Amino acid sequence: MSNSTVTQSAQPQETLVSGITRRFRQDFQTYTMIVALVAIWGYFAFATEGSYVSPQNISNLFRQMSVTSLMAAGMVLVIVTGNIDLSVGRLAGYVSVIVAYLQANTWNVYFPDQPALAAISSVIVGLSVGTLWGIAQGYIIAYLRVPAFIVTLGSLFILQGLVLLQTEGKTIPANQPVFSQIGQGYLPAELSWGLVALIVAFLVFNMLRSRRNKRRYGFPLPAPTLEILKIAAYAILLIAYVAVVNSYSIAPGIPYPVLLLALVAVVVTYVSSNTRFGRYAYAIGGNRDAARLSGISIKRNIFLIFVLMGFLCGVAGIVLASYVGYGTIGAGGGYELDVIASAILGGTSTLGGVGTIPGAMIGGLIMASLSTGLQMLNAPPALTYVIKGSVLVFAVLLDVYLKRNDS
Amino acid sequence: MSEDTILEFRNVTKEFPGVTALSDVSFTVRRGEIHGLCGENGAGKSTLMKILAGVYPYGTYSGTVLYNGKELKLQNGAIQAAVREGISIVYQELTLVPAMTVAENIFLGREPVERGSIDWDRLHSETRSILEKYRLDVRPQDVVRNLGIGQMQMTEIAKALSEDAQVLILDEPTSALSEVEIDRLMEILQTLKARGVTCIYITHKMNEFFRITDQLTVLRDGKVVSSRPTTEFTPEKVVSLMVGREMKERFPRGERRPGDVILEVQDLHAEWAGREVLKGVSFALHKGEILGIAGLMGSGRTELVMTLFGELADVTGGTIKLAGKPVQIRGSQAAMKLGLGLVPEDRKRFGLVLPQSIVRNISLANLGQFGGSLAVNEDSELAASTRMAQDLAVKAPGVQVAVGSLSGGNQQKVVMAKWLLSNPQILIMDDPTRGIDVGAKYEIYKLMNALAERGIGIIMISSELEEVLGMSDRVMVMWQGRSQGTLNTRDATQERIMTLATGLA
Repeated sequence: MSNSTVTQSAQPQETLVSGITRRFRQDFQTYTMIVALVAIWGYFAFATEGSYVSPQNISNLFRQMSVTSLMAAGMVLVIVTGNIDLSVGRLAGYVSVIVAYLQANTWNVYFPDQPALAAISSVIVGLSVGTLWGIAQGYIIAYLRVPAFIVTLGSLFILQGLVLLQTEGKTIPANQPVFSQIGQGYLPAELSWGLVALIVAFLVFNMLRSRRNKRRYGFPLPAPTLEILKIAAYAILLIAYVAVVNSYSIAPGIPYPVLLLALVAVVVTYVSSNTRFGRYAYAIGGNRDAARLSGISIKRNIFLIFVLMGFLCGVAGIVLASYVGYGTIGAGGGYELDVIASAILGGTSTLGGVGTIPGAMIGGLIMASLSTGLQMLNAPPALTYVIKGSVLVFAVLLDVYLKRNDS
Repeated sequence: MSEDTILEFRNVTKEFPGVTALSDVSFTVRRGEIHGLCGENGAGKSTLMKILAGVYPYGTYSGTVLYNGKELKLQNGAIQAAVREGISIVYQELTLVPAMTVAENIFLGREPVERGSIDWDRLHSETRSILEKYRLDVRPQDVVRNLGIGQMQMTEIAKALSEDAQVLILDEPTSALSEVEIDRLMEILQTLKARGVTCIYITHKMNEFFRITDQLTVLRDGKVVSSRPTTEFTPEKVVSLMVGREMKERFPRGERRPGDVILEVQDLHAEWAGREVLKGVSFALHKGEILGIAGLMGSGRTELVMTLFGELADVTGGTIKLAGKPVQIRGSQAAMKLGLGLVPEDRKRFGLVLPQSIVRNISLANLGQFGGSLAVNEDSELAASTRMAQDLAVKAPGVQVAVGSLSGGNQQKVVMAKWLLSNPQILIMDDPTRGIDVGAKYEIYKLMNALAERGIGIIMISSELEEVLGMSDRVMVMWQGRSQGTLNTRDATQERIMTLATGLA
């Protein structure tokens, strides 16, 4: 056991191969999930004779994952701190019902024929309802010390009741033209290409900036070829995605909910690793006592995480109402299962302390890929549930097995 | 292999990816002896014991282990197999279930069963007879959570004894025990020896080897450097064999000139979970001074530091003055703002986030230093943490490895690095060298001296009287939640401290 005193600056420059192996080790489960995703797509492409990977289906697939994946981004942090939120699906459902109700019955009374104002008002109310619910839940969990499992289970019941109360058992339309764009609209094809160019330019700029900072601190720089390859890989994925969705002749362009999801995923990823709030979440999940003795306010942090979760449920609820065009009594029911499963498939540990947002996004994509694929094969819904459940357990089993062999 | 040999290691080698943990280890253990095993952390002691316990089963190492003349072949995953063979281990890290009673813990996994249901009467009566036989001061129905750490250790030993062990492996059994409890453990070991039970005894406390063991095996870097009767060694000789160099002094002496009083505590009273744990503690700490706090388990030492840090305990009376100003410390955040740092007892439980990297652990209490009010500048975080880790000579393959993979000494250095980065005026260290090998202890002592020379006031709690006397300028002795007196180290002896600590004076 001959370890030397740690050094950072004196380490040899990273080579391409060592860089790739290091990254692979770091995100082992993410990579296995990507392999699984490719396998699932391959199978469905084959079974549907190619229509699974048609522009229309790819465009819809990503849009379908957006509602649950918006919430999965928050769920990762909730689970990382050692908590759980069972109410997310019904909260999103309640938000969707409320905004539908307001559009059907309220806005036209106060400002008729102003669809933009109606849409903005709906968004504001939807986000507020989600956030307020998060504040209430977070307060009870963090400050009044009722376990999250119980509080959110209770919430699930309450929200189910509120949805029934609000809808009176009926389906409420939510189809004002501007509001519908949120879930159903597309960024025009040309703008989609422009966005890709902007993102790639930002990635290059960011790489250069990061290298300059690292050099200033005297850190070893990652192999330049590795960084360029990484950016190239992102660029190819983005270009491939936009090329495919743009070639969907009926509605070309990136669907707005997918854009929104990407934005939320990037922001929450940044928050989770580059802010004190995010770091503290991982420390609390990793060792609560050590975190507390390091001067971290555990109550405040957990409270804020539930507020964020509520806010994201608000976002998801708005997208849900806009996408389906209705508020229904069943809105959001059972979504919590997909949300939690996405986070776990993406490598979030139920023991706390471990989990990434990009992982959860891949988990969400796997879930949506299974649903759409089975639908296209005309499989009965019952089978979809059985397969989703089996995939979840099998994925974690595989992970446990691979980790054991690794150590 | 002669009749009186119970265990023989022949050319045992165990490799992990990139590391050779044991290299060609050969030595014998005689039946009925107490065999001391010493070496720095990372020397291979734990690996060797894990082979005996079946954690690393037959086939994952090369060489042979002969047990009662036959080759020991423990199967994969069957840790109970070692127990069935008569080999029991008392682990360094406590392995009891806190919510269960002493009796349930002792028979965990081996509960006596009568027609499909647990025979509680037999379970309790057998537990009682074991506890009485070895004069262990716990009751079968006590819930482990409510026991002191010393009593938990006793329960752990009782559990091993109840398994009819032929070979009992004790991995640092005394690191949490008080002097009185250590004496009792030594008596128990003598009894076991008289009954023909073989003990393998691992500790970092040199005096215990010479007090109890018959034979000593010294490991260094996975190799046996010496295995001879204990009488052929001296403590200095053992230390030099362990570290591979002569160590002139165990406690480095710093040039210290304590300055003004920075912390003054007067008649402090505190409650913890509804129980009065501090009943009048008074002392003063000067700049650049190391104040030792001595006392037996349960004397209120840890409760005192937690109270000073504003955690767990509530102040019910008395005053705390920082640089002459009375303060109320509500929680660790407030304590840090006032310039206090705490290297807590039990680093794994209170000090570290084990799955996270060295960098993240060091920066955890100090994220406000890096970047603006919200975002963390990861480059400056990495730079500062790396500098800290280098200053403290943390040994690791890199600063991004998980702290859980480091040895105890290096983990403790990471905890210290975290607090030093927060630039404290007062550093409280609760049993800072518990479970750490000699070499790393020495480095931590040197660090403490360097900090004191920089003007930081250090409060050091320690269970080892030698350490208190070796490191402190003054020693405050506690007994039953009270400060019994403060001695100048020059005038203090182990006997005087023990007299105060046991309430005799």
